Amino acid sequence: MSKKVFAVISREFVTRVRTKGFIIGTLLMPLMFVLFLGGIFIFAIFFQPSTKTYDVVDFSGIMYDEFTEILNDTLGGGEPKYVFNKAELKDGNLDSTLAYLQNRVNGKKIDGYLIFPKDILDAKTVQYAARNVSNFEEQNDISRALSRIVTNYKLSESGVSPDSVRNIFNRGKVKLVSHQVTEEGATEKSGASSFVLTYILVYMIFLMVMIYGQSVMRSVIEEKSQRISETIISAIKPMELLVGKLIGICMLGITQLVIVGLIFLVVALYGQAIFISFGVSSMDLLDVINQINFSLNIFIFMILFFFFGFVFYASIFAAVGAIVNTEEEGQQFQMPIIILLIFSFFIMFTVAQNPDTAKAYWISLIPFFTPIVMFARISVSDPVIPDGAYLSILVMIVSTTLLLWLISKIYRVGILMYGKKPSLKEAIKWIKYK
Amino acid sequence: MILLELDKISKNFTDFKAVNQVSFKVNEGSIFGLIGPNGAGKTTTIRMIVNIIMPDSGQIKFLGEEIVPDQIGYLPEVRGLYKKMYVEELLLFMAKLKSMKTKEAKEQIDYWLKKLNISDWRRKKIEELSKGMQQKIQFITTLLHKPKLLILDEPFGGLDPINTNLIKDIILELKESGTTIIFSTHVMESAEKICDDILLINKGVVILCGKLSEVKKNFKKHNVLIAYDGSDDFIKKSTEIEKFNNYGHYVELQLKQGGNAQRILEQAVQDKVVIQKFEIKEPSLNEIFMEAVGTDKNGGGNYE
Repeated sequence: MSKKVFAVISREFVTRVRTKGFIIGTLLMPLMFVLFLGGIFIFAIFFQPSTKTYDVVDFSGIMYDEFTEILNDTLGGGEPKYVFNKAELKDGNLDSTLAYLQNRVNGKKIDGYLIFPKDILDAKTVQYAARNVSNFEEQNDISRALSRIVTNYKLSESGVSPDSVRNIFNRGKVKLVSHQVTEEGATEKSGASSFVLTYILVYMIFLMVMIYGQSVMRSVIEEKSQRISETIISAIKPMELLVGKLIGICMLGITQLVIVGLIFLVVALYGQAIFISFGVSSMDLLDVINQINFSLNIFIFMILFFFFGFVFYASIFAAVGAIVNTEEEGQQFQMPIIILLIFSFFIMFTVAQNPDTAKAYWISLIPFFTPIVMFARISVSDPVIPDGAYLSILVMIVSTTLLLWLISKIYRVGILMYGKKPSLKEAIKWIKYK
Repeated sequence: MILLELDKISKNFTDFKAVNQVSFKVNEGSIFGLIGPNGAGKTTTIRMIVNIIMPDSGQIKFLGEEIVPDQIGYLPEVRGLYKKMYVEELLLFMAKLKSMKTKEAKEQIDYWLKKLNISDWRRKKIEELSKGMQQKIQFITTLLHKPKLLILDEPFGGLDPINTNLIKDIILELKESGTTIIFSTHVMESAEKICDDILLINKGVVILCGKLSEVKKNFKKHNVLIAYDGSDDFIKKSTEIEKFNNYGHYVELQLKQGGNAQRILEQAVQDKVVIQKFEIKEPSLNEIFMEAVGTDKNGGGNYE
């Protein structure tokens, strides 16, 4: 590579890295991540469940004591989760009782009320009324407690001791412990934890390939529309200019990735300790941080697949830039590329859930999809490296080389063509130019 | 010594022959005018010289060898600069593209910015500069690396008279110091004043080529204007004259091809005719151009 290419690389890099857009963008990405964590933290504080108070009308007369005994959980701060008041029948009539209870709910004296019917053991229905009936957790608690009491009665009726049955059930319980098989053996790992991180990282690659690809296109269009190409091309070969442009802008992306990635790594490795040292004790937040199992392995693959994704898509963006004359035309022409990118992002969702199927394997070897889909498979399977990962690197090397060769032919003709926007057919003819 | 030699260069684009069998030589230290109407093939020819496009056939030799882009300075007709770059930064970038070392490049940048009175603007962005200043910057980018061959495609386009003069003086200065200059234009008046040699091209074909003075001499229409007092015998007897139009004390005449106006003057002096005015009107390049292009059966090029 000649020294001239370095001049191009440094121009592309320096004139962009000093812009406000880049600096803000780079700082914003981890900041958004921190805000995301902070959001969960704030969420956890604000939406901490409070003590719920219910009035209970027990027509059966057999439920109340056991019911309140079962639901004696406490919240994080030591307050009881539920407080129950036994309500009596008003004026000996249900309607006035209901009116009274509804009044209490509306007056915010209680959160809701429960009515156990006389024939609860046969009807097996309980009225639950509350200001807000969307809290499934509470309804689940109540329903489970009632079911348990009713089951106990039913067992006793059949002459079976509820305690012995419960003992049998407990002895027969099987616990499923998930392990992931790796080269080093089997390690415990929760299934869901990999997904959150994978989506975040894949989204970053997707976004950056698109943003920096467009950056290349704009750079080509600038040289063309500002009539700079001819001056530059008299000093440097078009291929060198294109390669310098791609490397310069790619380095910009990698710089950003490294900064953001390092922040991720620090959070993943020391996040818990840092938060604890700041006095944060919310288990929810620490759990979230725990799920960020961002390893150096993923980091390296991320940079690698950003690189391939960038070179692949940015060279197509460069060709578009060379064909069109203005940014507006470029906006129209770039749509197919963006659709391809978005498409691979959608495929990724399915593939990440079943990363080891034959379909996932083959799709991740199609160059258009490889950067996003293969990286998703790698990230989900970490620390195991999925089948085809190394093959995909080879696929990307071969396909980007071929693509670049083809596109450099369109590029060198296009950047000197002013005036009418050529049709795609004409542009393809350029490939054959001497 | 011949600096640049084009030998039967042709270039076809899909639907037409842009340059057809063009051959010429450019002498070292001369100003070579590449003239012709718009669309004649000037820019295509230049693009082949500076290696932007490859000729379909023919050879281009620079000092007898392959073209070395770093030894050429090229000011294209369509030109522009990176608007977001600082003046100094841009010039350094352009110098690096010509393989210059940073230190030397900086010296040259200082020198030229001073020379063109734009030193104060070196830390400004290109987009903050006026059009004229941007033109100057562009001109400097072609000179930093001290090229042996400077190719200027319509260098005066869009310049005001003061800057035109400034650039013209620098072109002549560069010529003095041994730089060879190819000057491409469709404006005959500016070519006529500055060029040593010219090449007239139309529709991709060379029409005239040679020293400007010889091109003019060989051009058949040489007119002489004489204001006189006395007998008109010296006109009637002369064998040098193709035709004339006599007003009694004033005659416009056209010399025969190769005719010598000096002999007419000698005859007049012998005849004791009083000569008040004797003007040999050389054909202007414009006339030559119009004549040459006009006789082209396919008609002239398009003028702007």
